[in-house]
Amino acid sequence: MVDEKEITKVQELVYELKVGQVMVKDVITVTPHNLMSELRDLLRDKRISGVPVVDKGRLVGLVSIEDFIKCLTDGKMGSPVEERMNRNVKTLYDNEPLVHAVKEFDRMGYGRFPVVDRESGKLMGIITKGDIIRGLLKKMEIDYQEEEIHRYRASHFFEDIVADKTTLIFQYNVIGKDFDRAGETSSGLKKTLRRMGISPKAIRRLAIATYEAEMNIVVFTDGGEITARVTPQEVRVEVVDSGPGIPDIKKAMEPGFSTAPDWIRELGFGAGMGLANIRKCADAMHLESTVGKGTRLEITVYLNEKEKHGSGNDS
Amino acid sequence: MVLGTIVEKLGLGVKTAPRDLTSEVTGAYVSDLLSDVMANSKEGNLWVTLQVHPNIVAVATLKDLSGIILVNGRQPAEETLKKAEEEQIPLMTTGLPTFQLVGKLYNLIGEC
Amino acid sequence: MTLKEIVKILGCQVVVGKETLDTEVRAGCGCDLMSDVLAFIKPDALLLTGLNNPQAVRTAEISEIKVICFVRGKQPSEAMIALAREKEIAILTTSLPMFEACGRLFKNGLIGCSEYDE
Repeated sequence: MVDEKEITKVQELVYELKVGQVMVKDVITVTPHNLMSELRDLLRDKRISGVPVVDKGRLVGLVSIEDFIKCLTDGKMGSPVEERMNRNVKTLYDNEPLVHAVKEFDRMGYGRFPVVDRESGKLMGIITKGDIIRGLLKKMEIDYQEEEIHRYRASHFFEDIVADKTTLIFQYNVIGKDFDRAGETSSGLKKTLRRMGISPKAIRRLAIATYEAEMNIVVFTDGGEITARVTPQEVRVEVVDSGPGIPDIKKAMEPGFSTAPDWIRELGFGAGMGLANIRKCADAMHLESTVGKGTRLEITVYLNEKEKHGSGNDS
Repeated sequence: MVLGTIVEKLGLGVKTAPRDLTSEVTGAYVSDLLSDVMANSKEGNLWVTLQVHPNIVAVATLKDLSGIILVNGRQPAEETLKKAEEEQIPLMTTGLPTFQLVGKLYNLIGEC
Repeated sequence: MTLKEIVKILGCQVVVGKETLDTEVRAGCGCDLMSDVLAFIKPDALLLTGLNNPQAVRTAEISEIKVICFVRGKQPSEAMIALAREKEIAILTTSLPMFEACGRLFKNGLIGCSEYDE
């Protein structure tokens, strides 16, 4: 059973969606000069009951399984399609709203309509009732997902919390030298932030920066910890390891500078772009390191769109 | 096609000391993985890569490649340039990313 | 350019994503170094790479790339295929080398990432 709200939603969508958005674009066609005998395999193999007839891109007729059977009983299988096709074809335009198509299906009782371009009469696709249902369901699914994300929006989330200051903390452990699982933290953080409804652009920058930092842990250390602190204003990712440390941070920040061993290069990393890349993505970046003790990196991305983004300050 | 013509047509920067770029380019090999280039490039190939590490010169020498193009605005590391001069491997640069540079190069020299 | 056209131009085998061949690809990027992919690729671009390990799929996920094409006949591992399915990333393979693959797509009108504004 569908409730009233959903019915209203479908009614909205049949006005919003266009025929061209739900039709099948890959249409099997024949030319007027094809012979009726050639239709047999087509109708059988593709399990279709009618084929549009197209001449130089323009729709000129429709030949159905009925026409085929009639032709068969007449014993005229050698005649060209143009002699047996129906020239008076009811079509739909690709830019008209779906609601019109629904009405036409109702009125004419046809199984399908060819869809043509309003100006040129060029065949654009074909539409069945099934396509309409699929199109509506798909659109509803997308809308539903968006609604779901919206429902979880961080701003709403934070609004519901009564406190002078709110910070959400997500913590992840990164295993060193485990190249196959590298990236799972960034992937998990990305998913979490998306669920909170944070802007996709901010998420992308955060995910890329975190992934680079995660790869550094995997490549150079035995493991570390990544902590993300989310407030309504910003996401701050702290990356801490107890690895070998960075002797010269300034040098390490230079694009192309790398101390990665060859095997890492062969895995597609270690070209000396990681830290430069993080700086590019972050609004603010802070890196401190002690040789023999470890490294601590802080990446901040502001969530307020008005704040400047990318190529941030490092200190 | 000789290297000089390619340099001119694609507007490449030449990093190594000027010398006549007359070596014949037999085709191109595009890869950022040194082992891949070691295994699959052919003599006379022009190598297109993002890698600026000195080892690229060693690979180019071993495989008798006709030159190296560094893409995406990469500049050779100091050590890389020094080695390239020693081994007489022409090093070139372009601001274009791999896809576009290769697209243009392909239009020039075609499949190989 | 749609995935379907790319498959045709490069003679690809579709490993993951047979049902998404209508996906529109806006630009091309040929790269084996994942940091560069992360730094420069645009969402909805096609990644052509010879790097055959799970990080290629991870990188695609993180930078919102919907399609990876492995060049020179590289076949992705079961783990990579599973990850790509989970993240809804299409995987193609072509026997062509990187040079020919980029060249053909460029010739057929696919633009590079630096030419395309989000």
